[in-house]
Amino acid sequence: MVRRMKTLALAFASMSLAAGLAVAQQIEDELTLITPVAKTLTDPTLADFAKFAKEKWNITLKTSALAAGTPVAYGRILEWKGRPEVDIFWGGESALFDKLAEQKLLARLDIPKAALDAIPTTIGKPKPIYLKDPKGFWTGTVLEPYGLVYHPKVLARLGVPEPKDWDDLLHPKLKGHVAQCAPSRSSSSHATYEVILQRDGDDKGWEWLKRLGANTGIFTARSRDVPSVVARGEFAAGFAVPSYMAFEDRLAGFELKFVAPKTAWITPEPIAVLAGAKHPKAAMAFIEYLLSERGQRVAMERGVFPITPKFRVQGAPGSRAEMAVEFTGGIRSYFDIDVVNIYDDDKAQGRYEKVNEQFRKDIESAWETLKK
Amino acid sequence: MKLPRGSLAVLGFVLIWAFLILFILFPLTRIFYDAITNEAGQFTLGHFHDFFTDSFYLRSFWRSMVLGVAAVLTTSVIGIAVAFLIVRYEFPYRKTFSYLTMLPMILPPLVGVLGFVFILGRAGTVNILLMDWFGLETPVNFMYGMHGVLLVETVHLFPLMTLSILDALAKVDPSLEEAAQGIGASGWHRFWTITLPLTTPGYISGALLVFIWTFADFITPLVVGVQDLLAPQAYLNIMQFVDRRIFRMGIVISALLVVLAILFVIAAREYVAIKDYSSLAYSRVERRRLGPVKRWLAVGLLMLLMIVCVIPQVGVLLAAVGRGWALTPFPVHYTWEFFHAVSIETPKFIINSFVYAGLALILCLVIGVPMAWIMTRTRAPGRNTMDALTTLILAIPGTAIGIAYIRAFNFPLPFIDAPLTGMWIILPLVLAVRRLPYTVRGSYSSLLLVHPSMEEAAANVGATKLRTFRDITVPLVWKGILVGALFSFIMSIQEASATIFLTLGGWEMIPFGIFTFYIAGSHSQAAALGVILIVVCALSLLVVNRIAGTRVGGLFG
Repeated sequence: MVRRMKTLALAFASMSLAAGLAVAQQIEDELTLITPVAKTLTDPTLADFAKFAKEKWNITLKTSALAAGTPVAYGRILEWKGRPEVDIFWGGESALFDKLAEQKLLARLDIPKAALDAIPTTIGKPKPIYLKDPKGFWTGTVLEPYGLVYHPKVLARLGVPEPKDWDDLLHPKLKGHVAQCAPSRSSSSHATYEVILQRDGDDKGWEWLKRLGANTGIFTARSRDVPSVVARGEFAAGFAVPSYMAFEDRLAGFELKFVAPKTAWITPEPIAVLAGAKHPKAAMAFIEYLLSERGQRVAMERGVFPITPKFRVQGAPGSRAEMAVEFTGGIRSYFDIDVVNIYDDDKAQGRYEKVNEQFRKDIESAWETLKK
Repeated sequence: MKLPRGSLAVLGFVLIWAFLILFILFPLTRIFYDAITNEAGQFTLGHFHDFFTDSFYLRSFWRSMVLGVAAVLTTSVIGIAVAFLIVRYEFPYRKTFSYLTMLPMILPPLVGVLGFVFILGRAGTVNILLMDWFGLETPVNFMYGMHGVLLVETVHLFPLMTLSILDALAKVDPSLEEAAQGIGASGWHRFWTITLPLTTPGYISGALLVFIWTFADFITPLVVGVQDLLAPQAYLNIMQFVDRRIFRMGIVISALLVVLAILFVIAAREYVAIKDYSSLAYSRVERRRLGPVKRWLAVGLLMLLMIVCVIPQVGVLLAAVGRGWALTPFPVHYTWEFFHAVSIETPKFIINSFVYAGLALILCLVIGVPMAWIMTRTRAPGRNTMDALTTLILAIPGTAIGIAYIRAFNFPLPFIDAPLTGMWIILPLVLAVRRLPYTVRGSYSSLLLVHPSMEEAAANVGATKLRTFRDITVPLVWKGILVGALFSFIMSIQEASATIFLTLGGWEMIPFGIFTFYIAGSHSQAAALGVILIVVCALSLLVVNRIAGTRVGGLFG
């Protein structure tokens, strides 16, 4: 009798578990992101995820992405105070995600363990780059270097050799021909300023950055403008450009070239679900999809690299994936090579405002004098 | 229960005031509150102290003033010349030009400067031609710097000046000038002593608007790499939310922009308050026929001006149909894909624009026409304050209003438990508030034209109130109301600065789309949306022009 009861209870429990699973699997029919990641990466992944949702759950998913620079996105999430208008925050520095988690504005990731376990905890030496949150609030989605761009035709006209490393941007003939975005406005620029400062030390680093300021012809309002103004030939070279942004201009038919110097910082483009999100299941499902082979393949066609060693950027000859490999210097996976990273994010976050302040004083305010 | 007629009117009056207080005064006080408190909510003047002791901000402030004055000068020269030609002289295609010279005004934000860069940038058509054909080595810098901003603002804003002057000129009684001529005053003397003083009010109100628009424009300077101006500083500081101190400075600068706008309006209050339209019945002006040489000279000058004015339109059109256009005078590959992408693939920009601007238009009519009626037909208290408010709205920068809204309406509303900032209705609301003055002024001037005695006469012969309104009032005032409302619509559908901070996913209107495509690096998609918006606005403007001719200057001043 007791045994029968047990069996019954077990059967009942497994039934309700199954029912629970079925419910859990059903996702909401809406999903919105706030993201500094450009449309060219968010649109195709969202579109393919909507297709995926239709196939898997037979749901017509309405997706939208609210484009906002990292700082704006972060600021709006703070302003929402736990009653967010969107479900997901995608992109920017992982340190900001940690800050949000501390303020209880993120929901813990609820996706299969295997998907997260496939991602190594860190990459790079001597300083490790975290690819996922040990506490489980965010995970990296793709890898992408912040490098430099140039227009070969404009350089040829100026008689300047094609740059290979950061220092080549200080070529005297490039005076007035370099584009960059202020570190106070752009997270990719800020990270690359730190790369220079941590490579050369503060004194020499600021000297270097001032010389770059002297060569600069435009401080763009946003980091995304840097590759665009170079692609159109308005300026010859650009500093601190995420690889996929440059690749989009290449895909749009411009003759832009990209180099990731050895010391370039590589970002994992973190993603997290906001606490209090209206569509948490759809949000978790989207993250799981992004980490799956299908999601990673869609992203890889856009000039970013897989977040796990399981995949490599590869496609038929002439495919977008192969174009991306050629464009980003022949690398198929950052797990194939030894990643050099000298950028210490804790150090950078610890003096974030100080660096902005010094930039404003020594470069932004003094720009007219520097140019002379 | 039947309310007595009087109380119904009182109710309407109270509702209008409630709207004005809730959606204009309340949010504005909120940014002032932000500007004089710290994060902990304690009173401080430290932010202003920081601003006025910071050499970079002070330089931005100074340069903004210089730019504003420079724009007033350039638009004055062009605007006055065009106005005089059109009002006083007869020459071929005069009417066509009177429409064409209004067109630059409807260049949507960002589109104008983008178009200019495509044609006059360092790798723009002109420089490429100079380099390819004449072996020029370094490109001429037409755009990057203050001069580029000035060029864009001049082309964009001179029609405001033209319209204000046209309006004033058309009301100058020609007999005054004839009298002056009769006693032997020479042309220039007559101009200085008679015409100029009479057109001064129109000119001042035009100049004030040009100054404030230039002062408040943040997009144009940013595209050409000028950041040390006040409006771009406000925008950039607010756009980065991380550093709360810089963010607070952005709000402080916005508050400062509002204060300055208020001061300017007060300084010019005699000229910018709703004018006495006693001579609104425009005097018939005898146009002088120009001799054959002068005639074609006038046409030539206007043609030249028009060529400069269409540079941005040509630029965005080429960018909208050109693929991978760089370092060639014209695109090499042509495509419709960008138009397809922004209209058929994602129709939301166009749909949202019409829905929200349409709702804003209805709101403008519902609020604005009764306001005009109160100002013309009643002695209700607070009429002058209403007038001052509508003038003020014209002067307050859009970014300041956007910020004010996001700060003021971000609390959960009673009963619905959701903040207004989370509901799309906030967009039509902010648009209606921003563009209300055009409807008010359009309605005001036409209501003035209908003398109450006409309505009384109808009533005397036994017409009911409704019939009087239908048969007498409506036929006489609909044109003015329509023109004002259409202007509200045009300006709403182009609005970007106030909505940029308020837009959430799914609410994107065309200007926001232009902006996001631009910052996503998709300049061709941005250009395609720009072309669509220009066409919509040009058609609306054509309707306005057909109804009202060029007599819309009073809407602005």
